[in-house]
Amino acid sequence: MTTKLHPLSVPYRSVQTALNFLWIVFIIGFSGTAVIGGTTGALVFGAAILLGLVSAVVWELLYYQRFEYELTEDTFDLASGVVSRRDREIPYRRIQNVGISRNVVQRLAGIAEVSLETAGGSSAEAQLRYVSFEEAQRLQDELSERKRHRSHSESASEADEEEEQEVPERETERLFEITEGELAVLGLVSIDLRLIPLLTLAVPFISPALSNPALYAGPLYVVAPLAAIVLYLLTSIASGIISVTNYYGFQLVRTGDELRFERGLLQRYSGTIPLEKVQTLTINENVLERAVGYASLLIETAGYSPGESGGSQSAVPIAKRDRVLRLAQSIEPYGDVEFERPPKRARERYFFRYLGVLAILTGLAYLAELYLVPNLEWYWMLLGVVAVPIGAHLKWRHLGYALVDDHVVTRSGFWNRTTSVVPYHRVQTVLDRQTIFQRRRKLATLTIDTAGSRSLIGQDARAIDIDRERANELREEVADRLQESLAGRIAPEDRLFDPTATGTEVGDSPSVSPGE
Amino acid sequence: MSGNDESEPPERPTEGQRDGTTSRSTESTGEEAMAADGFTEAEPSSREGDTDDGATDSTTDLDDSSATPDDLREELEDVSASELTVPPQSLHPKVRIVWVVQSLISAALFGAIVGAIDFGVIGIGLWVGPAVFGVFALIGVLHAVLRFRVWEYELREDALYLERGVVTRVRTVVPYVRIQHVDASRGPVERAIGLASVVVYTAGSRGADVTIPGLTADGADDLQNRLKRMAILAEGDDAV
Repeated sequence: MTTKLHPLSVPYRSVQTALNFLWIVFIIGFSGTAVIGGTTGALVFGAAILLGLVSAVVWELLYYQRFEYELTEDTFDLASGVVSRRDREIPYRRIQNVGISRNVVQRLAGIAEVSLETAGGSSAEAQLRYVSFEEAQRLQDELSERKRHRSHSESASEADEEEEQEVPERETERLFEITEGELAVLGLVSIDLRLIPLLTLAVPFISPALSNPALYAGPLYVVAPLAAIVLYLLTSIASGIISVTNYYGFQLVRTGDELRFERGLLQRYSGTIPLEKVQTLTINENVLERAVGYASLLIETAGYSPGESGGSQSAVPIAKRDRVLRLAQSIEPYGDVEFERPPKRARERYFFRYLGVLAILTGLAYLAELYLVPNLEWYWMLLGVVAVPIGAHLKWRHLGYALVDDHVVTRSGFWNRTTSVVPYHRVQTVLDRQTIFQRRRKLATLTIDTAGSRSLIGQDARAIDIDRERANELREEVADRLQESLAGRIAPEDRLFDPTATGTEVGDSPSVSPGE
Repeated sequence: MSGNDESEPPERPTEGQRDGTTSRSTESTGEEAMAADGFTEAEPSSREGDTDDGATDSTTDLDDSSATPDDLREELEDVSASELTVPPQSLHPKVRIVWVVQSLISAALFGAIVGAIDFGVIGIGLWVGPAVFGVFALIGVLHAVLRFRVWEYELREDALYLERGVVTRVRTVVPYVRIQHVDASRGPVERAIGLASVVVYTAGSRGADVTIPGLTADGADDLQNRLKRMAILAEGDDAV
């Protein structure tokens, strides 16, 4: 039985399309009016807008008419397209995440957008815009239900009756709910440096007084740090507001072998994270979070990061560090980790690197004073020499890697310390790199590539600047452990005689309860 | 690029044989060979995921639970991983010509652009364009020679191993289990010189897809074939 979208999606989408095309209409209209002039021009302009609106409505009506989806035995079928038709069948077991998102208007209208993520492709595999909220929830439940059913019936190839018993109960357990205190902490500690360029551009618009040259009077070594502090404060306020609206009312629930989260103040988002599809866990602690003992946890699947463009799914936006670690352990029980640090000569490398950066910056300041800004007093830059060894040491101190029983764990970053946990069976390729500088010091960087969404944007788990020989060993060892863990997971005998060989291994791990 | 299911048509018969062979474990007769062939034929039509494999396996088990066809076994012997391995190999020496030609082309383009800017805007002298070309061409030739010296690939029992890079040395291990598909490609320069490349795709970072250049056309076919068989032999669970 095929289903159509919600009828309200027609007006909503029409308005959306019309708004998208409005500026084109305006450009055409204005140039038309200018050329023709007078009343005729205005009439033509009006006609153009009207035509645009009407065609938007007609188009969306056709879109609605010709969009159908269906839940079949094994696949989610989708037929769409006004002019060029597209029929898709998405096998349930290939679905990574199912997300529902609703903004304020959509919530008022009672409609929601559903997006299905698979591992292929660069965007959501299928988007239903828009169905009623109830239908969206039904789809989310139904899809995870069917997915679970399929993956279980497949691991339990021959024993049909047994299989029914093997399907675990759909017990629901609330893993995490953000408190107001945590939300406040999140607002305070989250800082998104990507906002800086945006703010620098926006500041003169927001407050024209700021561009008053009188403000910048005084020696540059006073103004520059002040400006930096102001910029930092503005950025952190903006990031804080963004994080708080993003993660307002966050909660994480475990249902069977699936995690579900809900978040958002204006744009309400709910998504699924199937535990058997988890690729990598990432624990993030920036410098402020570390100071107050908080951390955040990301869970990556191979789906293309629903809800956030380019980022992964925050399983826990912020919580006390030990709580985050417990949760991480319950999802991927990687046990105790003792990090090995890179050799000390790596630290020398950072020392010289930062020294080089400082030299270049000082040189630039010197040139600026020479040619552009007199009285820049560039030599103050040389005070940075004090910061160089400290920076090098801090960077070195926070690097680390460890190979534990079933996982490889890497850690790096001072400002934003990132700890990645990769199960061996999720490793795709292992590679080590040596730049020309690393070769001089016999260092290498080992990269463990997975199919997780973050590795697609180059944020793989990496053991940075470890000894060359050690990198060689580790590369082979990780590859070997991958083979071993795969052999353990899918030996055909296991598959035939132990119906739950694939199902339980991952499904059970969460029950290594968050209490350990 | 999603999963193992997307194996290309030519692979299916072999995979069918593999499935058949792993699920059965004892001796054989000629009839079973026929049955196995039938099974092989039927396989592609019923690929909706491993579920169907499981179902088909179990039914075949019921039919002839005590038989493995000799010829199938022999074929598996043919493709046993140890025989498909390749010791560390350099690329074909002619690949240097490909790289040199490619860098000459970009050097020429760059030289032309710089020359044009100089001619039109700055006006230092006519020698600027050729000089830029000369410098970049020299770098290109040097780079090509060094790159050839470093490049090495090896087909191990369980993984493809690559070593490459002049400025940044990269050593990659690509386990066969993780191979999603293998392409053979031939660019215009490569075609003119009679070489080809093999591209190996995994589900990991798109940028890290591995290219092995500098193969003869036959060599590329052979390598593609070996990799394909290795990938099939390596039993894997879903990569994602």
